[in-house]
Amino acid sequence: MRVVLRKAVFYLLTAWAAISINFLIPRLAPGNPADNLIQQFHGKLGASAIKALRVLFGQPHENLWQQYLDYWHQVLTGNFGLSFAYFPSKVSDVLVSTLPWTFILITVCTIIAFVVGTLLGTVAGWRRGTWLDSLVPVTTFFSSIPYFWFALLMVVIFANILRWFPIAGGYSVDETIGWNWGFISSAAYYAILPAVTIIVASIGGWLLGMRNMMVTTLSEDYVRLAEAKGLSRRRVMVTYAARNAVLPSFAGFAMSIGFVVGGSIVTEIVFNYPGIGVVLFHAAQAADYPLMSAIFLVITFMVLVANLLADIAYAFLDPRTRES
Amino acid sequence: MAIATATVVEAEAGGESVRGARFAWLRSLRSPLTIVGIALTAFFIVFAIIGPIVSPYDPSQVSTATDAAPSWGHWFGTTHVGQDVLSQMLYGTQVSILVGFGSGVIATVLSIIVGLVAGYARGIVDDVLSLLANVFLVLPILPLTVILAALLPKSGSLGIILVISITSWAWGARILRAQTLSLRRRDFVEAARATGERPGTIIFRDIFPNQIAVIAASFLSTVTVALLTQASLAFLGLTDVTEWSWGTILYWAQSSSASLNNEWWWFVPPGLAIALLGTGLSLVNFGIDEFINPRLRQAGIGTKASQRALVRSRRLKVSGGRGARVARPVAEAYTNASTDVILDVRNLVVDYLGDGTVTPAVSDVSFTLRRGEVLGIAGESGSGKSTLAYAITRLHKPPAQITSGQILYTNADGSVTDILSLTPEELRKFRWEELSIVFQSAMHALNPVLRIGAQIDDAIRAHRPEMSGQARNARVIELLGLVGIQADRIDAYPHELSGGMRQRAMIAVGLALDPEVIVMDEPTTALDVVIQRQIVEKIMELKDKLGFSVIFITHDLSLLIELSDTIAVMYGGKIVEYAAADDFYRHPQHPYSRGLLASFPTLNGPKRELTGITGAPPDLRKLPTGCSFNPRCPAAFDKCTVVVPQLFTIPLATGGTAEAACLLYEDGAPASGISNGGVDSLDTREPVKEAS
Repeated sequence: MRVVLRKAVFYLLTAWAAISINFLIPRLAPGNPADNLIQQFHGKLGASAIKALRVLFGQPHENLWQQYLDYWHQVLTGNFGLSFAYFPSKVSDVLVSTLPWTFILITVCTIIAFVVGTLLGTVAGWRRGTWLDSLVPVTTFFSSIPYFWFALLMVVIFANILRWFPIAGGYSVDETIGWNWGFISSAAYYAILPAVTIIVASIGGWLLGMRNMMVTTLSEDYVRLAEAKGLSRRRVMVTYAARNAVLPSFAGFAMSIGFVVGGSIVTEIVFNYPGIGVVLFHAAQAADYPLMSAIFLVITFMVLVANLLADIAYAFLDPRTRES
Repeated sequence: MAIATATVVEAEAGGESVRGARFAWLRSLRSPLTIVGIALTAFFIVFAIIGPIVSPYDPSQVSTATDAAPSWGHWFGTTHVGQDVLSQMLYGTQVSILVGFGSGVIATVLSIIVGLVAGYARGIVDDVLSLLANVFLVLPILPLTVILAALLPKSGSLGIILVISITSWAWGARILRAQTLSLRRRDFVEAARATGERPGTIIFRDIFPNQIAVIAASFLSTVTVALLTQASLAFLGLTDVTEWSWGTILYWAQSSSASLNNEWWWFVPPGLAIALLGTGLSLVNFGIDEFINPRLRQAGIGTKASQRALVRSRRLKVSGGRGARVARPVAEAYTNASTDVILDVRNLVVDYLGDGTVTPAVSDVSFTLRRGEVLGIAGESGSGKSTLAYAITRLHKPPAQITSGQILYTNADGSVTDILSLTPEELRKFRWEELSIVFQSAMHALNPVLRIGAQIDDAIRAHRPEMSGQARNARVIELLGLVGIQADRIDAYPHELSGGMRQRAMIAVGLALDPEVIVMDEPTTALDVVIQRQIVEKIMELKDKLGFSVIFITHDLSLLIELSDTIAVMYGGKIVEYAAADDFYRHPQHPYSRGLLASFPTLNGPKRELTGITGAPPDLRKLPTGCSFNPRCPAAFDKCTVVVPQLFTIPLATGGTAEAACLLYEDGAPASGISNGGVDSLDTREPVKEAS
């Protein structure tokens, strides 16, 4: 448990770093982003909106420490000011309406890709030297494709030409959002194409990583001893080899998940999915700094929680980390 | 001038090995996948250089041929304003490659500096830098680059390169730090520090060159990440959209709804180029990985090839399979006169197969093991003794192969089985039931994530599926008790036990099914002397109690003489002497045995000079002609470089016989005038075995 606590402290530190980076970037940037934004919307902003904007993105006349404290106060109260791309909505409202879409899509896709990729990697490593080796160049190719480009292909083939799936959107316009069967089934149907895109593009990384770890683990003495004891091949493969080979996948979760989240967000744009990716796209187009920085913080928070969960799973899987 | 000469001499002296190491990576180029990777990467780099020159049109020039599919005039078709997609691709390759490799270089330089400094400096510097790297590793890169890129309005390639570099150095830094930490402890670095070299010199002269492969791997993956990130940023419109790159083409395609209009020619080429270049870089990286981690080159144990490689040819069975397990009468205590043979190894040959080369590791080895006997096999590292241990149990792995020979096992009903003729399923049932093995390092041979009890239990369950869980549990506790482990440690994980306890647990695993023969491969080597003694006494006690036979392999000759009934000495893959332990100690026959006995002191013998053996153990790949010991042998004569000696039987004064593979005994009797190395004078020694 001490390990998990230590990790939790590390993630708190990382969250602090992310928020501080977010504080520093607009203040280090050439020019004054806050002034630029205020000028852009000259006359449309009320006094309180202008004040919030200055707290978040720079007040040239105040000392930095006071600015930093004010900034923290805003962030902790969830006040990210007004969005310009979605004027006059509040940034927090934009996030609340789009975050669930992204959260569900990425969570489901990541779990499926991780489980399937790890299982395939287990078999590919176990049978190293057979035709399964040809999976290596194929999956390498798939793990090198840009997510959003693969999404474009999927749209053309399965939505445009075959017309199996809708071209864009998150649910049929006939449905009303809520806990009703019509909406949920429609949302699931609309999510298939984006989900398949993300899963196919991200599965290769898990597969290759697991395969290489399997091959490395198979030359360990404990696997040789397990074979010698006459255990079933299944037990040698699962309990002795894969059980140890999977550990680095959890330890390296941090880097992979950040990559998957980034790719998924851009994928949403192609499908015009009602998630955070499209919002980020519009925010970037409109130089909507308040919205962009809030999205960065929210995604960072999601990634940190995912990492903490991976660490807890790791502690359960590896008895060596449980004590000490 | 003098300095130059000295350098030349040094280079010549170390030439062979240095060149071998420095150019070893070239071998990884032979892998077809690596060649494909290099070709793909080179292809794109060439087009990055010549792209603008060979481009048929100005990539931004509009024309009336709008939304045209590929044709002779426009190989890749045109955009919605009639721009030539091929020209855009050719120009775009330059920017994409520039951003990819430029970011790769800067990020790698950053990670080298951070990694080397953190790993070398350790302490607070390391803590701070590692923390920084870990924070950057966890932060999601894409949203961060989006913010940074958005603040550098319509930034050109240089801005994007900087943005990507400062967000992607962390992974490389972490790997290099770990590498530096481990290199730092190596002898040559310690030596440089001891001679007072400056840290900067040590880092860049001694540590850095050893990390080239890791640095290259981290550089190539950063390039891949940079390519994808640049494409994403350009696709989001965060780069200068008038500067052509693969991502910019996709941006225009997306904002003109190319996918909705099925204009595949417009958006397929840039994405495919990114994917192909990414694949090329990853394949090169794969080659580097296989070079860094040689284990990746081995065939998986789940393959038929690895099963087939075990024994060269299927041979006829000596007996028609093994009947039901018959209870064997308890073995009588072993004496030199015992004739109850349990294991008979005949002319065993084990080779290591390389690229067209065959390296003999065990050559024509024969011996018998009788019930209750402890056979000690001694030899220096590389003598083939461990290969022999694994071959007897058929646990050797490719590239090792049993080329010929027989390993005959006497079953309880008196029938004989050749272990080498067993099918995999027969072997699975046979092994552990009749013949088990205790590995050298319990630390590595026990599964770190499984409880000790479970690792004994699963062996029993695999062989006695009919046994109830309760009965198995009782058996596990009994076994732990036999080796002196308390029943309450049944749920302990290997890391929770001390080194001695782990080795006891290993022995309990080996005893699980009450086998007739246990092969022990240096079971006490990693332990301190006190624990070593406890383990050896435990093994001897259990042997007397349970009546199994032992093949005990070690380089520790004094230990072997103490516990063995019979000793076989291996040299260069052959048994060079085979004798009863007492005879061996008092009257070693082979010059090599005499040398070995002269290399260690005895506790209770008279003082004598320790002479040892000059020279180094032979390289199995190029054994000397004739007797492989001849270059180191004090008694060698002309014939020794020509004739390979067989084992000659030598009658001893004690009434027994010894066997030695030495031409001195070709005529049946020891040649006169050969010094016995002073060992013959040691017969005042009381065998420790009898005393203990």
